[in-house]
Amino acid sequence: MTPVEYGVGIGWRPEIAGYVEHLPGLRFVEVVAESVHDVLPPGLETLLSRGVTVVPHGIRLSLGGAEPVDPARVEHLAAAAALLGAPLVSEHIAFVRAGGVEAGHLLPVPRTRESVDAVVANVKRTQAALDIPLALEPIAALFDWPDDDLDEGAFLTEILNRTDALLLLDVANVYANALNRGTDPLALFSRIPLERIAYCHVAGGSLHDGVYHDTHTAAVPQEVLDLVASLCSLHRPPALMLERDGDYPPAAELTAELDAIAAASGYPAVTR
Amino acid sequence: MDTWGISGPTFLLWYVVALVAVGVLAAAHRKVLFGGSRHTSVAALGPQQVAYLNGGRRLALYSSLAGLRGAGVLGTSPDKTLAQTQRLPAGVTPLDTAVWNAAGHRLRARDLDKDQWVASALDQLQSGLEQSGHAVSPAQVKAARLWVFAPVALVVIGVARLIAGEINHKPTAFLFVLVFAATALALTMRKKNRWATEAAIKDMIKLRGQHSYLNPGQKPSYATYGATGAAMGVALFGAASLYDMDPSFAAEAEVQRQSVLGIGSSGSGSNFTSDNSGSSCSSGSSSCGGGGGCGGGGCGG
Repeated sequence: MTPVEYGVGIGWRPEIAGYVEHLPGLRFVEVVAESVHDVLPPGLETLLSRGVTVVPHGIRLSLGGAEPVDPARVEHLAAAAALLGAPLVSEHIAFVRAGGVEAGHLLPVPRTRESVDAVVANVKRTQAALDIPLALEPIAALFDWPDDDLDEGAFLTEILNRTDALLLLDVANVYANALNRGTDPLALFSRIPLERIAYCHVAGGSLHDGVYHDTHTAAVPQEVLDLVASLCSLHRPPALMLERDGDYPPAAELTAELDAIAAASGYPAVTR
Repeated sequence: MDTWGISGPTFLLWYVVALVAVGVLAAAHRKVLFGGSRHTSVAALGPQQVAYLNGGRRLALYSSLAGLRGAGVLGTSPDKTLAQTQRLPAGVTPLDTAVWNAAGHRLRARDLDKDQWVASALDQLQSGLEQSGHAVSPAQVKAARLWVFAPVALVVIGVARLIAGEINHKPTAFLFVLVFAATALALTMRKKNRWATEAAIKDMIKLRGQHSYLNPGQKPSYATYGATGAAMGVALFGAASLYDMDPSFAAEAEVQRQSVLGIGSSGSGSNFTSDNSGSSCSSGSSSCGGGGGCGGGGCGG
């Protein structure tokens, strides 16, 4: 995917399928991999027939778990990619279950050498079942584990270097992590291989009790758009997408958000 | 001695001929009555017109209610009467205007069609669709229904012959089967209400495919699709869409959830639902929400 510029995309969700379907300039969407089954929903079929690239985005592999990834889940991810003819798949650097107990959330992995080894092993197991690249997405976390011995940049870079995986950078997560820790969000950009970015997530969140939550249920804040612009001035990713997961606004507001991402990144608007 | 002076095989032969003739002639007449024009498409029709074709005057009203509710100009009062909540936006249909005005008179949704203005708007909508060849007229439905008397007459004759045959100690098994067939034919012809021509029904099935994103099974975001999307959802997928969009309003307005649709089921058999697919935020399916945020530090994805 890296050599091809896809521009601005959006997370395909059934709730807004009719809106996404009618975006004239759209060239790529992301779909939750676990929602893809043998029969594709008509909205996705329409996009595929229009030549829109659909990237499956896994949320349950648990690449950051201590135990090996479930081969059945990896197989499903590969099957979803094959069904969609996707040029790559993506998953999180996170764990969602441990000892057979489902957390129900993406949980942060301690940034230790042992964790890097575990993540790398799981990424390699997953890559072995895929014939297309895998992009890894670091998650937002409210806290850091006390025994972290790597900073975020080093942790990510190490995993990417050892696995040859691509990076799915969530700009809103970068913003949330920096805001909640009082650090400079731009600092991370100089610590990670920006040329490895396959695509970016851009989303909105909200402040609760002084903590910023990246909920994907609110409009993208200007600060995140500014961060997109800064990132693009350093190295423009081949694709950026609006990630909205609930409390869907009127079509005009989604359009304004997509246009704002296009303006911040310098890509053409996909809404007209 | 033959019952009624007609031999059993002869009677059975003519009974079968009559049965087949009734079936064929009725079907041919229905085709003429309900065929519609291939040159009239429903694609250019508005949601309320599509709703009328799919579910008659009631569904047209529900479609209008959904649009007005979606536009935020209609609500309900504690006594379950409709209420105006905002001024009517520009560009609405005559039916919307009539329904919104009726809401100003604190009418219940179920009594809307008794309002003179609403009834007149519905008449106008109906006659327009009849003239354009999309809708069948009540006279055409009545004409088609008249055919039901033919198989009923066959049933009456058959039953009389059965009784006479039994009295004469004649075999009646074959006739019994044929009377059963005539009864089935009569029941088939006693068709439910229909509103659209065959051509319009075919078009509407296509239209529903194009608007599959409004299927309640996909949990459509009505805020995104706006008032027109809400009205079209009801038009194509029935009153279930109104319950999906705004369950408390639909319940308070006493909207009948189960509406008989001219283009078949409400699409609940969709092979895709939003379960498990809506969010990349949580790895579970339900734990994201509440006070905003997805638990441990945001969605992270």
